[in-house]
Amino acid sequence: MTSAEAATWYFKKAARIMDVGERIETLLATPLRTVSVQVSIELDNGEIRTFKGYRVQHDNARGPMKGGLRFHPEVNDDEVLGLASLMTWKTAVVNLPYGGAKGGIQCNPADLSVKELERLTRKFVDQIHDVIGPTRDIPGPDMNTNPQVMAWIMDQYSRYHGHSPAVVTGKPIDLYGSRGREAATARGLLYVCREILRDVGQQLPGTRFAIQGFGNVGSHAARLFHEDGGKIVAVSDVHGGVMNPKGLDVPALFDHVKKNGTVRGFPGGAPCRNEDVLTADCDVLVPAAIGGVITKQVAAEVRARIVLEGANGPSTPEADEVFEQRGVLVVPDILANAGGVTVSYFEWVQNMQHVTWDEERVNGELQRVIKEAYEKVGQISRSRKLPLRTSAYVLAIGRVGKATVLRGI
Amino acid sequence: MSIPATLLKKLVQIPIFQGLTVPEAAEFFEVALEQTIEKGRTLFREGDEGDALYVILSGEAAVTKKGIELATLSTHAVLGEMSLVSPGDTRSATAAAKTDLTVLKIPSRRVQKLIKADHLAALKVVANLAQVMAQRLAAINDRLVGGDGKKKASDGKKEELADFASILNRWSF
Repeated sequence: MTSAEAATWYFKKAARIMDVGERIETLLATPLRTVSVQVSIELDNGEIRTFKGYRVQHDNARGPMKGGLRFHPEVNDDEVLGLASLMTWKTAVVNLPYGGAKGGIQCNPADLSVKELERLTRKFVDQIHDVIGPTRDIPGPDMNTNPQVMAWIMDQYSRYHGHSPAVVTGKPIDLYGSRGREAATARGLLYVCREILRDVGQQLPGTRFAIQGFGNVGSHAARLFHEDGGKIVAVSDVHGGVMNPKGLDVPALFDHVKKNGTVRGFPGGAPCRNEDVLTADCDVLVPAAIGGVITKQVAAEVRARIVLEGANGPSTPEADEVFEQRGVLVVPDILANAGGVTVSYFEWVQNMQHVTWDEERVNGELQRVIKEAYEKVGQISRSRKLPLRTSAYVLAIGRVGKATVLRGI
Repeated sequence: MSIPATLLKKLVQIPIFQGLTVPEAAEFFEVALEQTIEKGRTLFREGDEGDALYVILSGEAAVTKKGIELATLSTHAVLGEMSLVSPGDTRSATAAAKTDLTVLKIPSRRVQKLIKADHLAALKVVANLAQVMAQRLAAINDRLVGGDGKKKASDGKKEELADFASILNRWSF
């Protein structure tokens, strides 16, 4: 099951607990618009290549739609739709005035030169510029897209519609990007972690973390938890991992990664496999790599008391049930990793108002947003005796539903 | 009797024969008999044993109950369809030819045989019939509670949205 399919599954579960009825369920699950385009460019060697591009706009009841744009060989319309709806629920959980969208181009960016990527990005914007926009649909970075790609999108869109920095987020700091955007997802994890630890009567200093994945989310999370006094006892990436029950020396680990491009071979601990990190002895497990890594079998062996979902859909629905039976607290992706889209929203707000916030303000506002969302989800969880994930979906469906009812169909 | 394909194509558009392919319809109507009834003669009387279903091919028939005319039926209308599912029950109304009338008579006993043999076309007809009955029952229920069936259907959406709103209130966000 892909993370998109898992998201759909969790949505249905919550909708059925709320008993919204089949037709309301269909209304909420069906996308508003699916755009599919053929993007043809000339490669550097003169060959012509045609790529498939998608933009799925799921729901705009709560505001302009927001969601990443990914470049990946396996992008397809079904997956993009699932991920677009995930964005609807995620933005609703943290109460951003947004709906959900997602897009992608089916390509392998490793096979393309920078010039080819630029042509591909600009051509894609040529084909979708009339359905996106600062008050319609605001793309952002996702798998294999970065601030440079966002800068091209802004530039190309602005050629049609005039200067429009707010059409896209995740832009470079030097081109209307927001401070604090890069570490935002990890910082959201930190803030939600502080809240849940307080609820279980524990403090972050001394808490033991195992982090799978050392990309943007995992590496910043390791740094932030470490700075807050947490002990990082295991980390890994696709090449392998390293464990140390006494806590890894995080600054030295970053030096090692800078030199070698991987955490594997770091001398400050015992080597292990990437998947061993999931079952390491720790208090908090942070899966921050790819979806579907925590299966039913893995979930039965997880030793952490708390799972913070840094990635989208790291736990399968079967694993989720195991966690529920075992009393493992799961902070679901739509809450745990919502820091990224929240700071994207701050970037859009700054662009719309032609102002710049300092990093302290960005982080302060982020903490407020995450804290409020966690409290609200916690309330539903306690009063309805539901796990955090179902409660988060219930909250999201409630918010989207209210906006839908108030606006009328 | 064998029925020309042009007529079969028309017959499969009648609600209770919908979904039959033309070859299936040809097999099903194999058991039918064509009859002509002179103006003023009756097709069946209220209280008679219901032994067949009729499809009007041309002309008009009046349906009456206790002397009160309930409806006038014309080409491609269906009469006595209840006899397919409850053979032997008595007719609930009288049908008479208002003009010279040509009908296709489908004896219910022969249809029962087809159903027992799991004949696909016959099963499809029974399923359609169940749907027609359900719609009639819903309309009667609506009339009983004082509503108008058609109006209810268009109001449904509004209620559904209102139901959703009350669900959201119950969950108190």
